[in-house]
Amino acid sequence: MQALLSFDKAPPFAAPLRFFLTAPIFAMLAGLLLAWSGGEMLASRWMPDLLAAVHLLTIGFMLQIMLGAMIQILPVVAGANLARPLRVASWLHGGLSTGAILLAAGFWFGQPALLSAAALALGLSTFAFLGAAGRALSGVPSTSPTIRGLKLALGALAVAVLLGAVLALALARGWPLPIMHLADLHAGWALGAWGGTLLAAMAYVVVPMFQLTPGYPARPSWWFPGLLIALALTWGAAVIGESEWGIRAAQGGMALVGIAFAVLTLRLQGQRRRARADVTYRYWQLGLYCAIFALFQALTATIVPQLAEWAGWSILFGILMVVGAFMSFIVGMLYKIVPFLAWLHLQNAGCVPAPAMNKLLADAPMQRQWQAHVLALILLLGAVVLPDLLARLAGLALAVAAGGLFYNLLAAVRRYRTYLEAAKTR
Amino acid sequence: MSRPPPERIVDARYLEPPEPFVRTMEMLDTLQPGEAMMLLLFREPHPLYRVLRQNGHTYETALQDDGTFEILIRR
Repeated sequence: MQALLSFDKAPPFAAPLRFFLTAPIFAMLAGLLLAWSGGEMLASRWMPDLLAAVHLLTIGFMLQIMLGAMIQILPVVAGANLARPLRVASWLHGGLSTGAILLAAGFWFGQPALLSAAALALGLSTFAFLGAAGRALSGVPSTSPTIRGLKLALGALAVAVLLGAVLALALARGWPLPIMHLADLHAGWALGAWGGTLLAAMAYVVVPMFQLTPGYPARPSWWFPGLLIALALTWGAAVIGESEWGIRAAQGGMALVGIAFAVLTLRLQGQRRRARADVTYRYWQLGLYCAIFALFQALTATIVPQLAEWAGWSILFGILMVVGAFMSFIVGMLYKIVPFLAWLHLQNAGCVPAPAMNKLLADAPMQRQWQAHVLALILLLGAVVLPDLLARLAGLALAVAAGGLFYNLLAAVRRYRTYLEAAKTR
Repeated sequence: MSRPPPERIVDARYLEPPEPFVRTMEMLDTLQPGEAMMLLLFREPHPLYRVLRQNGHTYETALQDDGTFEILIRR
């Protein structure tokens, strides 16, 4: 077991944990906003309170966990060590949390000053993190598709945040910009180029590792991230060149790449060597099917643009992509990563043998939370069609599911601390 | 990259962490200086690389088409 001491170079548990524990609170807030506003929120994708809820989910929940996890995984999957990870975690966490609240409040109250402040907080904290991550990754050769994917994803994050900040400032100050085209482009860079590339880079490692599937074949793994970024760049160029055709071709291309990745992952999962379908596997299956459905929807709209004129069209896409796909992937990974990190840090603290991971986070509460998540997703999808009847209920269900996640993670951390105290007094 | 004999190969592709790490360290303990072993994995084990470097071992990695990383480790 002495060999395991080598893991003591891992960043302290507190570094990623603060992100994992606060993210569900933002998802709860998003659910509560919907429960408060009701069906009106779903009248159009441009409703300010819907924009508030969406950014609580995408920044407060998704980005928070993505970057918090990045602090942890850069040394593990890329051999890149962030200098002073706890310090980075502390200001990044502060910046993202403050920025997400300011942005949501700016949309909700229609306050230009809050939108400007949000652009500043989110822009500064993300770019400072990109600087720290860039320094850690400089000189690290792209020896695996994961490392190349991570580098490209971080570049895409810079573009997504920059576009978001420009949009927030344009709204706050009334800049004459093509807001709708830029908002689509921002979403494409944020969910597709950043989210999709990061997801692929991570999936190459975590899907075989946690679900005991075969590995991703090398050739497509090298290509997926680069293709997504190239298409997102084409999309940007088409917006600048005002080419409607170019925009649609790039969107369709990104959707196809995403579908290919999801289908490949489903095929690998079909060959997994773990007989039992654990909660991570279920979350990933749900996420992959939702992503395929949403991307087919996007692909259809590039061919028949009239479809997207129905207000519910892009809201349906958003729910499938954010709650159905990304939240599912993220929660599925958290349920593996948090107990594993707790086990690792207990082991390093001299708690040998460390308790089994299912002692730290049992299966039953995770399964219950998974059911709550599925129920929330079904209600949210239903609310697109029957907003007056289902929107408030769907909001409450989302808040309950996120609350369940918070409770489960907190319970795991409490158990970790109990074991740690016991090991220290031994 | 020359392949060591089968008894010197740790196929950790379908093992959960920390099994691949533990098994590799166990096999490394049985090697004489100058001898080699191979680890098969669907990812690059950077934490293991660090330990190998600290202990003065050398390693060489090749990614195969099926996504297997073949890591040849010399003691």
